[in-house]
Amino acid sequence: MARSGLQRDVLALYRQCMKAVQQKPIENRDNFRSFARSEFRHHLAVSKKDFGTIEYLIRKGRRQLEIYEDPGIRNISNK
Amino acid sequence: MASIMRPSVLRQACQVPVTSQRMLSTLSRTSIKSSSPLSQHLRPSLVRTALPKSTRIAAFHATQRKQILPALPQTVEGTANDPTPVPEPEPVHGSYHWSFERIVSAGLIPLTVAPFAAGSLNPVTDSILCALLVIHSHIGFEACIIDYFPKRRIPTVQKASMWALRIGTLTLGVALYSFETNDVGITEAVTRLWHA
Amino acid sequence: MAATRTLARLATRRIAARPASVFTRSFASVSDTHARDPLSKAAEKIDPKVITKPIPESQTSTIKEPEPGKDAKIKTFHIYRWNPDEPSSKPKMQTYTLDLNKTGPMMLDALIRIKNEVDPTLTFRRSCREGICGSCAMNIDGVNTLACLCRIPTETTKESRIYPLPHMYVVKDLVPDMTNFYKQYRSVKPYLQRETASPDGREFRQSKEDRRKLDGLYECILCACCSTSCPSYWWNQEEYLGPAVLLQSYRWIADSRDEKKPERLDALNNSMSLYRCHTILNCSRTCPKGLNPALAIAEIKKSMAFT
Repeated sequence: MARSGLQRDVLALYRQCMKAVQQKPIENRDNFRSFARSEFRHHLAVSKKDFGTIEYLIRKGRRQLEIYEDPGIRNISNK
Repeated sequence: MASIMRPSVLRQACQVPVTSQRMLSTLSRTSIKSSSPLSQHLRPSLVRTALPKSTRIAAFHATQRKQILPALPQTVEGTANDPTPVPEPEPVHGSYHWSFERIVSAGLIPLTVAPFAAGSLNPVTDSILCALLVIHSHIGFEACIIDYFPKRRIPTVQKASMWALRIGTLTLGVALYSFETNDVGITEAVTRLWHA
Repeated sequence: MAATRTLARLATRRIAARPASVFTRSFASVSDTHARDPLSKAAEKIDPKVITKPIPESQTSTIKEPEPGKDAKIKTFHIYRWNPDEPSSKPKMQTYTLDLNKTGPMMLDALIRIKNEVDPTLTFRRSCREGICGSCAMNIDGVNTLACLCRIPTETTKESRIYPLPHMYVVKDLVPDMTNFYKQYRSVKPYLQRETASPDGREFRQSKEDRRKLDGLYECILCACCSTSCPSYWWNQEEYLGPAVLLQSYRWIADSRDEKKPERLDALNNSMSLYRCHTILNCSRTCPKGLNPALAIAEIKKSMAFT
């Protein structure tokens, strides 16, 4: 299935998030994983033609990933 | 090239009708317009070619289509705290290039004035003037291409326009050479035009 | 001695002729001194006993929108708004009207007043409100400047338009994303690089002449007004460093105590980093601190020429 550059960006970000989860302490990985998934799920309703929004969300997601990747962050709560 | 194509390609790819408010309104407006004879006269191409829904929407989004090279999503290399990568020093494209450009530009001024001030025609100054003109225009257009066709954004377009420029410069050089050797030469041509 | 000086100053202050109102510049200033009374004055005394629920609105008074006086100078401000919490919404221009008699003289005062009294969701960066921090850089009436150094023109017929810095990614409302700008600043190594110790083991000293070379360079507050007004920077933001960063680079190149001048110059010696400057001079024209980044760039080019 051919994917656009934007779709590949989103999938790459998701993959990066899942990889980052593996660096976290084993007992809290589930929390991180469900947090990352919920962050993606929040914006499921965004139209796939709305490039500007998706680009913004990717930008925001990358920034969030950069922050949460820090090894100092050991646990996360899911609302 | 792919990056320019992307929005339009995607727009074509997503031909699934979306029940968004805006689209509905544009659809209804199109139907009203097509019924009125005046509008049909004004925009016949639009109504006639309104086959796939996606292109019809695109026709109404005039502002989006006008954008030349819209901004890409922001990419941050490394973390926010890393410096941007420093490129390797290339004096040929940097300081040497700049010095050469300045010498050529400065040299053009006396060469342009001298033949008219002296009132005599010298084939040597004439040929130097021609050569410098060719180089000067080449450098100027090259700067335009580097500025407006960014390499990291549209590498193929930049490469193509660079080659077009090289061909153009070569053509100009050959043309000026034949003009100098077979015809009166550039200074004499300007003088004649002036007195014509 | 000190007492006499104080007396003299008091005397001159009393004697000093007030300039006639004809000659005063027509800029906004606060003439209605009661307008700035804190809102808490209007609020009731509430018994600070244990409150579990918010007091219902039937028991409190209503704080009305400040009524315009009879000689109110109503000025209209159009401000760029975009809320990242609704990412699919498009940016919009919101209009606010303010009575200039109750507003401070600067654009930042107007923005703060809007945020305090009209619309608390308006977002902008500000810190020092006196042109030292460079936080409140924005595009006001088509010119990149610091809101705290930009007076509100008192012609109420003309409407002011406020946008974030052009060609930057917007974080929210008037807040641009400066990540790339700061990363570029980091790449020029803006600190003293020195291998040799000072001869007497104390601080690195500088002659007065050498120090004077840094005047007009060290004052830069990195507000990014110049960089974002430069067309070259608009088109090639990723590779061209921009006037502000180049000015900072020159500040360290010109420093007599720095020993890495050749390395610093080498880092700029390529087609993109420095030589995308085509002396458009927007940078010098817009600088809210009155500096001349174009001159600094020209000095770098000069020092690199024929080497």
